[in-house]
Amino acid sequence: MQPNTLHTGSVAERIGFLNDRYRNHAAQAVLEHALNDSDVGNIAMVSSFGAESVVLLHMLSVIDRNIPVLFIDTQMLFEETLAYQTEVSQKLGLTDVRVIRAAPAAVAAHDPDGLLHKSDTDACCNIRKVVPLENALSKFDAWITGRKRFQGSTRAALDFFENEEDRRIKINPLAHWTPQDVQDYIINNRLPRHPLVAQGYPSIGCAPCTSRVAPGEDPRAGRWRDQDKEECGIHFVNGKIVRGPLPTVEDEPEMNTIVTDAGFAADEWTHGFVTPDTLGGGGAAAVAVDLASDADPAVLAGRLDGIDLIRVDFPSFADGRGFTLARRLRLMGFNGRLRAKGHVIADQYAMARRSGFDEVEISPELAKRQPQDQWLARANWQSHDYLNRLRGTA
Amino acid sequence: MSRRFTPKVVTANHLLEGDAVWLTSDNAWTRTMSEAQFLDDEDLANERLAYALTQEADVVSPYLADAQLGENGPEPTHFRETFRTRGPSNYAHGKQVEVA
Amino acid sequence: MYNYNEFDKAFLDERVEQFSAQVARRIDGSLTEDEFRPLRLMNGLYLQLHAYMLRVAIPYGSLDAAKMRQLAYIAERFDKGYGHFTTRQNIQYNWPKLPDVPAILRALADVGMHAIQTSGNTIRNVTSDHFAGAAADELLDPRPFAELIRQWSTDHPEFQFLPRKFKVAITGSPNDRAVVKAHDIGLRMVEKDGEVGFEVIVGGGLGRTPIVGKVIRDFLPQEDLLPYLESVVSVYNLLGRRDNKYKARIKITVMENGLDTYRELVEQEFIGRRALFNGVDQALLDEIHARFRRPDLAQGRSVEAFDQAYGADPVFRSWADTNLAAHKQGDHAIVTVSIKAHGETPGDASAEQMRVLADLAEEFGYDELRISHEQNVILPHIHKADLPAVHARLAAVGLATANVGLISDIIACPGMDYCALATARSIPIAQQIAERFDELKLEHEVGPLKLKISGCINACGHHHVGHIGILGLDRAGVENYQITLGGDGTETAAIGERTGPGFPADEIVSAVERLVKAYLEHRSSVEETFLETYRRLGMAPFKEALYGEVKERHAA
Repeated sequence: MQPNTLHTGSVAERIGFLNDRYRNHAAQAVLEHALNDSDVGNIAMVSSFGAESVVLLHMLSVIDRNIPVLFIDTQMLFEETLAYQTEVSQKLGLTDVRVIRAAPAAVAAHDPDGLLHKSDTDACCNIRKVVPLENALSKFDAWITGRKRFQGSTRAALDFFENEEDRRIKINPLAHWTPQDVQDYIINNRLPRHPLVAQGYPSIGCAPCTSRVAPGEDPRAGRWRDQDKEECGIHFVNGKIVRGPLPTVEDEPEMNTIVTDAGFAADEWTHGFVTPDTLGGGGAAAVAVDLASDADPAVLAGRLDGIDLIRVDFPSFADGRGFTLARRLRLMGFNGRLRAKGHVIADQYAMARRSGFDEVEISPELAKRQPQDQWLARANWQSHDYLNRLRGTA
Repeated sequence: MSRRFTPKVVTANHLLEGDAVWLTSDNAWTRTMSEAQFLDDEDLANERLAYALTQEADVVSPYLADAQLGENGPEPTHFRETFRTRGPSNYAHGKQVEVA
Repeated sequence: MYNYNEFDKAFLDERVEQFSAQVARRIDGSLTEDEFRPLRLMNGLYLQLHAYMLRVAIPYGSLDAAKMRQLAYIAERFDKGYGHFTTRQNIQYNWPKLPDVPAILRALADVGMHAIQTSGNTIRNVTSDHFAGAAADELLDPRPFAELIRQWSTDHPEFQFLPRKFKVAITGSPNDRAVVKAHDIGLRMVEKDGEVGFEVIVGGGLGRTPIVGKVIRDFLPQEDLLPYLESVVSVYNLLGRRDNKYKARIKITVMENGLDTYRELVEQEFIGRRALFNGVDQALLDEIHARFRRPDLAQGRSVEAFDQAYGADPVFRSWADTNLAAHKQGDHAIVTVSIKAHGETPGDASAEQMRVLADLAEEFGYDELRISHEQNVILPHIHKADLPAVHARLAAVGLATANVGLISDIIACPGMDYCALATARSIPIAQQIAERFDELKLEHEVGPLKLKISGCINACGHHHVGHIGILGLDRAGVENYQITLGGDGTETAAIGERTGPGFPADEIVSAVERLVKAYLEHRSSVEETFLETYRRLGMAPFKEALYGEVKERHAA
């Protein structure tokens, strides 16, 4: 059912209702309710028929196989992807898979030889992917994506329902899923896998810009290899399409590095993270909370004793809110572990430590570009500190 | 919404010296604007800028600047770009004395 | 004079090493330009139109002969033989090369100087009254507090990546010579029940949205200074907008949230922050106070040499009338050395001039020099008997221009001759106006008149608070200059008002001349200043002088 008349109020108001209503629902339930909720409106799913896409497609087919599925054919895809698309659509009985392609005139005008990707991958993505998708979505009130919280720091607070520039609702039923959840679901439901996964392509995009990755290498390393690019164009930040590198990447597993005064180490925390919203009343053995950079730490007032670790997000190294958040948490009496996570650079290590953080969590990319010695250079953060001298704590 | 494309050159500042440089057709950076590659096609201009953006080891903050074709090659059309080819007006410093 | 102790020196050494490594890491690719930019800015290094530019801090504008000589050395060794004194009491070098910058910072550190936090979204070099410690009207020398703030804000771990830059100014006099109401935080010393504390002003600023700051706390005890500042800035760090750079300054944060709300948040934060300071800062402040003791000024020396020269030499008399200010001790004077010779670049001093200033400070001035936000150099303690000699030595190197406070004592930003942000040039306009009024021989008759020029909306030339302000803009690819009138940067702060359409470069000098002639025509007496006449009569007569008779219009 697609009620067109019942949803009222602005997109922002409806999002507020929807997130409250489904805060504690599982992915399938979210999807089910979203498809039936009058507050959502006209809805479509967008799928790349990539390595993990089959999960959501399967869920959709179980609930309503007539919902439109938008598949963007950039005309640069692997043969295997096109074959997989046909196979999955048939097997799941999807009745309304719409293949979206760029207008031939646009391609003729901007990329007649199909070589634009060699000189300007952004422009190529724009013509073949971003613009066609935006056109296709303009007919819908809402769309379903496979984005997940584990995929990166700015997605740490990813909600089931997001507001896209007050125009559309974006639904992320898998927001809380881990990589293991995805694998388990595919196995348990005996779903067909993309043929290229077995050949060493854990993340699959257009043929010219995707290569194999070695075992243990970042699964996204094969995308736009040797290019200063990590993301396609289909991401909206603060309601705006954002192109080029984002700190978050699809399908990226947790392989971050923890930096302390002793240098680099793997993350030994295995108990997962909750948000202030999902933080329970206590009793759990080990509790870690993710705090967004725009969060008010006052939401944790009175609950700090039950928390072992707080992880504060740094969406960009130029955004210094996290330093004051750390100091404020310490002023509130938090004595547990305090971790800065995201885009914190080696040159900020002393600032992080002096503001009250115990450690920093960085991406594999950053750990590679700024190796351990650049961080250890500031392990002496306790010396030459004007502020602690003035505070009498030096 | 169609906006007329005006010819461009790719320009930036040199990483070590800090002075103005322009991109040539053979992927080098020149201190003389007239030696720059003249870009009268929008797609080509974007392609050259995209290339320049990958040259962080040599230059800082490349951008497309308006240009016109003069007798000896590309020339600036805006006074800001004219100053960049010359130097300040209060002293005989910069390119007006350093570049022949 | 505060000289760096072992702690300060060790800190500076470490910073020089850090920045040297950062430059190397930028060159080897460990740091992207995006990551390097804030780090170089934090160390005062900009990339401008023709070259890098290094902005060196002169904290609260105070320096001694050794420092001035080192500035001269750097100008010769690494630059083109001169430096530019700025409206924020800094000095800028316009031509350094990136690989040389670590060596320049090393040379600065050798004399206890640095370029730390002269740029970037952080707490900037603290500015103060350039007559501090000498002025007759002073309640308390503000510099020890400025030094305390410098130490607190330097490398403050929370405040290196604020939403936007953050400027603090402090004055110890009722006559505000530090433009405190145009700063993110302005501190004005006030007395209450026999105790001296601070009036705290917040959210002032010029730029795109000029706002006169408002009082957030009418009396702050001295010992609460650091925790209170920390509260104001930490609230701003979390609350300030990061989505739009033009709305990121604290003036907008205060405006959008309301002063009362902002004050409440600060007071709430203050409770926790107060506990972070246990009094050690006050002990350190006592040590700092001791280092700012006024020099033991000569007592009982005759001032006859001064009187004689004043009577006999009209050139000296003219200079003494404009360039001297009252000192706490009557037989001394505060000398303002004009760096505004007619036709020269406002604020530019050659290495030779810097050395002469250093020599004079050492020989006659108790080794003290100041840089003013009006881009001049101050010798704060000169015995009157020495003034003729000082004047002669200054005249020999082109530093004896008698124009302080007059129309040719122009504040001008570097404008599009150097600055990457500028929309038009400032320097040639300043040069031409000064030359015009020199030819007219009018400026002494005109009297006090502050003319300030900015080459873009960011208002580094303080045009908003000029009695006559000039703003250079790019109008369809041509330089165009807008005029504002009635601005005031003192304790009676006001933002200037636009006269109307701007003028092209070749008409702006004549336009200013017409304004000044209109003032001479309309002033009620020789005593009434330009600003007073403007305040009495308003815009109309000046508008008429600029644009001709306003034509009658028949309204519908």
